Amino acid sequence: MSLDRRTFLLRSAATLGAGGLAEAGAHGLLGSSEARAASPAAGGIDPGLSSRVPFDGDRQAGILTPAPEQATFVSLDAIAPDRATLAIGLQALSSRARELTQGSSIPVQEVDDPPVDSGTLGTTIAPDALTVTIAFGASLFDDRYGLAGRRPAGLTTMAPFPHDDLDPARCHGDVLLQICAGRRDTVVHTVRELLRPVRSAFALRWTIDGFQGAHRGPSARSSRRNHFGFRDGTGNPDVGDDALMRRLLWVGDGDPGPAWTTGGTYQVLRAIRMHVEFWDRVGLREQENMIGRTRDSGAPLGGTDEYEDPHYDVDPKGERIPLDAHIRLSNPRTAKTDDERILRRGYGYHRGFDEAGQLDMGLVFVAFNRDVERQFATIQRRLADEPMIDYITPVGGGYFFAPRGTRDAADWVGSGLFA
Amino acid sequence: MTRPLPRTSAGVLLGLTLAVLAGGCGGTSGTGRSRASATAVSTHPAMTIAGTHASAQEVADAAAQKPTGAGPRSELSPLPTSAFTRPLARYRAYAGAQADAMQGDVARLAAALRRGDRTAAQAAWLAAYDRYLRLGAAYGALGALDDAIDGTPGGLPGGVTDPHFSGLHRIEYGLWRGAPLATLVPWADRLARDVTRLRGVARTVAITPLEYATRAHEILEDAQRDMLSGRAAPWSGAAVMATAASLAATEEVIGTLRPLLDGRGDALGPVQVEMAQLAGVLAAVRRAHGGAWPPLTALRPDEHERLDGTLGALLEALAGIPGSLETTLPPTIPTIAQQAR
Repeated sequence: MSLDRRTFLLRSAATLGAGGLAEAGAHGLLGSSEARAASPAAGGIDPGLSSRVPFDGDRQAGILTPAPEQATFVSLDAIAPDRATLAIGLQALSSRARELTQGSSIPVQEVDDPPVDSGTLGTTIAPDALTVTIAFGASLFDDRYGLAGRRPAGLTTMAPFPHDDLDPARCHGDVLLQICAGRRDTVVHTVRELLRPVRSAFALRWTIDGFQGAHRGPSARSSRRNHFGFRDGTGNPDVGDDALMRRLLWVGDGDPGPAWTTGGTYQVLRAIRMHVEFWDRVGLREQENMIGRTRDSGAPLGGTDEYEDPHYDVDPKGERIPLDAHIRLSNPRTAKTDDERILRRGYGYHRGFDEAGQLDMGLVFVAFNRDVERQFATIQRRLADEPMIDYITPVGGGYFFAPRGTRDAADWVGSGLFA
Repeated sequence: MTRPLPRTSAGVLLGLTLAVLAGGCGGTSGTGRSRASATAVSTHPAMTIAGTHASAQEVADAAAQKPTGAGPRSELSPLPTSAFTRPLARYRAYAGAQADAMQGDVARLAAALRRGDRTAAQAAWLAAYDRYLRLGAAYGALGALDDAIDGTPGGLPGGVTDPHFSGLHRIEYGLWRGAPLATLVPWADRLARDVTRLRGVARTVAITPLEYATRAHEILEDAQRDMLSGRAAPWSGAAVMATAASLAATEEVIGTLRPLLDGRGDALGPVQVEMAQLAGVLAAVRRAHGGAWPPLTALRPDEHERLDGTLGALLEALAGIPGSLETTLPPTIPTIAQQAR
């Protein structure tokens, strides 16, 4: 096998020997003020950098945890020549992700050797709320690695919906890495370091970068805005409600298997181009009718508060909120559609411009759900003819399965696949 | 659905300034600069709003809670629906004539495919596509017939091999990628049948005033989103020709609406200026490429940029049209509490 074991082992050793930050981080005991005190340079450090999200746990991080400002989504094709190399590659991803998310110090190596870390974050790697969420695409479960019998029951290759214009080069993939952190440099460093020990196991298929709008009020609960100027995420289910999350997100023991999928969730990613020049030429009232909300406050039309119930029951003819408004079609708020709800955790993207000189901006739509067919796909089919379709074009993405989290530092995401 | 009244945007102003500097717009450049005062908004006094005995201006004044006859008046003076009768009749006749011409193009396409003449088939295909785009304003109202004639493979599970991928672009895909011409004959025959239906539909299609006013800018919005980006006709590269055809359709729609737009605020002037600008840029491109529409990939970067920018400025101007042609006042949105009572 050709995986660079030496590099991988060297890194693990470096982290184990680093002490301080890394060791305390692994136990999750160190508060943010202590983390700063333990830093060799307490002054001149952005305070948020010490914020740490545990890597190990029942659920993978980056799903229920708050979405920090920056993200990169990396789709990988498995090129490992055999099953063992694939397993070692996945093991290396988890191991390196754990080090980076929990913080570590880079030991000084012999000057003749390439440094074990690129050094773009300095010699002390602060966690910066970094999460690395690892998920698998349907193609991983073909005949290459003998995993065909282990494919999650609800995992398919995303088929285009009407009005999609999917670019095959920006779709699907064997493994999806969702990398989120507070700062862009943390995300970029993580992408670079994660790929280094797994070059012979995985090849880049596509990537997309995302960002969050700042919290601009008026209240701490106010949702952030998307490229259309509307608040996004208002209708999300409460991630603090464990019973609800078990109903809407987590694959349970009673669900179609296989057994290794218990505790995981299906991840939908859709790169949705938003034609912002066109949108900016639409009257405000028409924009609000397409969405179903007031642009400024985010309140449902006819309401005053963002989180107010839209009360479709008293508006059966759509005189207040049009029957084909986005919020009304996506979540009709009926008993029948209650189990269709999804957890959205999207990011805005901006990646230059197209051949016609139009800004290439949009939404990295990310949703977690327990059953893609019952939830995301059902909602998406209902949205097929919403008036907003003229202003958006889904261009990429795919369906993935994010397995349960890791038990401890010896475990790795996907270990259940090979057990 | 309603739109607010137009605002003259910075982009339009820049376009106007350039037009005046270039002196290339004939008599149209002056009209857009004179922003009509609120009291000068046209009233069409003889017409009444459907369901009322009031003129459009009286209804607007009432809505704005202004005493009738006292200025300044609201700019929101809706047009009676009947004002669209003649423009729509004129447009339907135009669209029908385009569909008739397209039938001939498609017949020539099928004949060229049957005798194995790829060059003639490509020329006939381009003519048919040009005709369909010149029909412009109708396609939003054509639904499944539009998908059959002008559908693209993006949203289909099988992509270019999907059995539902048909019409102009299915033939384009084969014609420019070296498919045996005989394999395209069935698609051309099917297209001919769809165009026969189109000839009838184009003359009778129901279009609301709002849809028609909206089409004035959506035809070219599609040109910018789908054509100049290379998405719509990727194999033939016919984006520049397609943009010119879309401009022709827009000119026709605006021409039919001109009696309504004259004297209604400041929307028409900038549109005429910017349409002339785009026509000028397209003509210059055609001249520079030996008198024929160049494929998108043959455009020089500066040509592409100028086309994109001029089209963008025209679209900013066209965005003011729907708001100038409202037939109803924007309805007041009831509150949740009001509905709950």
